[in-house]
Amino acid sequence: VTHFVQVAILGLLLGGVYALMASGLTLMFGVMRIVNLAHGVFIIAACYVAYYLFIGPGWDPFLTLIVTVPVFFLLGVLVYRSFFPRIEGSARFGEMTVLLTFGLALIVEGLLSFFFTGTFRSTNPPYATEAILIGDLFIPKAQLYASITSLVLLIALWGFLYFTRTGYAVRATMQNRTAAQIVGVNVRRISTIAFGIGMAMAGASGSLLSFLFPFFPNSHWRWIAILLSLIVLGGLGSLKGAIIGALFLAVIAAFVSDLLGPTWAPITFFGALFLVLLIRPQGLFGKEARVG
Amino acid sequence: MTRVEKSETAGVSAEPVIAPTPSRSRYIVVGGVTLFLALLPLAKPLIGQPYNYVLQLGTVGLMWIAMTSSWNLIGGFTGYISLGHNVFFGIGGYTSGLLLLYFGLSPLLTFPVAGVVAVVFGFLVGLVTLRTRGPAFIISTIALLLMVGLVFDNWEFVGGSNGLSLPLPPFSLETVKVPFYYAMLVIAVGSVYLGYRVAHSKFGLALRAIAQDETKAEVAGIDTRRMKVAAFSISAFFVGAAGAVWGYSLTYLRPTIFFTIAIAAEMVLMAIIGGRGTVAGPVVGAILLVALNEISVSQFGSTELNIVVTGGIMLAVLLFFPLGIIGTLRERGRLPGFLDWD
Repeated sequence: VTHFVQVAILGLLLGGVYALMASGLTLMFGVMRIVNLAHGVFIIAACYVAYYLFIGPGWDPFLTLIVTVPVFFLLGVLVYRSFFPRIEGSARFGEMTVLLTFGLALIVEGLLSFFFTGTFRSTNPPYATEAILIGDLFIPKAQLYASITSLVLLIALWGFLYFTRTGYAVRATMQNRTAAQIVGVNVRRISTIAFGIGMAMAGASGSLLSFLFPFFPNSHWRWIAILLSLIVLGGLGSLKGAIIGALFLAVIAAFVSDLLGPTWAPITFFGALFLVLLIRPQGLFGKEARVG
Repeated sequence: MTRVEKSETAGVSAEPVIAPTPSRSRYIVVGGVTLFLALLPLAKPLIGQPYNYVLQLGTVGLMWIAMTSSWNLIGGFTGYISLGHNVFFGIGGYTSGLLLLYFGLSPLLTFPVAGVVAVVFGFLVGLVTLRTRGPAFIISTIALLLMVGLVFDNWEFVGGSNGLSLPLPPFSLETVKVPFYYAMLVIAVGSVYLGYRVAHSKFGLALRAIAQDETKAEVAGIDTRRMKVAAFSISAFFVGAAGAVWGYSLTYLRPTIFFTIAIAAEMVLMAIIGGRGTVAGPVVGAILLVALNEISVSQFGSTELNIVVTGGIMLAVLLFFPLGIIGTLRERGRLPGFLDWD
């Protein structure tokens, strides 16, 4: 039984970080119908920012959040402004965003491997290898701290969405873009902000991921595939769905990796995706899709 | 050239309606090019020293033509973008590779079998993934690619991440490229011809209807699900066949050769550059990109920056010429008759 609880806890802690990573992605889809294939590569880019701040000035990865979050917010504003208004009117917008961000992901991946080579890296703050023991339970500090940070950031996001005027506008745009525009929401501005916030979440995830998993430029495909599976599972654009899905599947993945070895853990997400598509194509918390 | 009429329905003006009056010049050009390609290996004395290089380049070019034309059936005509189509490439490669290892059958003969296996696999996958539309479908194809890649990486029977070594082809060094070249030629011609036939069939019409407005297509009485699954699985055939020939020409099979997303990226990019949903587009796109890649590798060597160029071209084309070369030319009424294969 202890072993069972142990595995569940490890899964849950990782799930918090997955939820943070997926939240940015699902926000972008929810507000702007953008499927951002470049989300993973920006997370990895943030990992490199954290890595160089760690080995250079010796910053703690958590301290690097004060750099990655604002920098990636601005980067998001820049990316949104330079590409998406151009294709806004296009007939197959959803598809265009996928292709556009696919191209973007390739560019960023290529630049990362050009400058930083393909070697595995990770930051190794002292707590990365320490753990807290509660009875027989073993709680790794790195995962615990990362999970708490993710939780704080997710609560901040929730607070922003539910208790600020801009947040109301974001949610209104998520529900109905046209109607939001009619009641006077500046949809372009809201979209820019939402994209920036999504990217800030990617930046924050990068700071945390830098000490949880070794990373290299190409590794973003695995992450984006997992994250996209999560948001489809949760119902595209549903923040609640993405978070619950992330926690739930991370626990299952922890059991899979316990039984079959860590290489098979990602298969949980993909397998679950296919299973859900088979039973409920619109995802667990999704409404009937109206995107084409 | 000017047979193109703009559709009157608002919102679909990007999709030209094509009247069925073929121009004669295209038969001459296409026939001539095919004949030239078929006779090329016989011209060894004329080509001289770079003979093997020319054939290798031809094989690669034909492979990409086959893959991109096949992808176009689902990604172009039907409007369902698959970013995991190289799954079929790998499945084809491994199928024929295993047939060679266990039964001694040459992949140059078994490539149709590889294609059929890919089709069956595509059918089963399509039944699940094509229940979704738009972004969710694309995501499921990426998940499929990573999942299959993961399985092949860890499956001992197919050698895991070390892959399988195949016996060397029983040809002399002088002529070793020839059979692969011809096999790819057959596959490429087959896939382009298939694209042409689909474009001119009721099936193709149904696919285009799905691409424009799936709900309306459904209301009009098209069994959209069946059409989509059919398009998806048929599009797997020549990709699988190409994988069989390609794997054998390398004499070893490894998951990283087949299951990297960069291959899917190339297929998508070639189709977009040439013009999605046209017959000639994938061919033009494939030739252009293979040539560009050849030049950039010979000038700058193979670096990580190649993928930056790939991504950059993709962005530029999407933002400025979303219809691709063929599509843009046609929209402006400037498409030369010999390139109008629709």
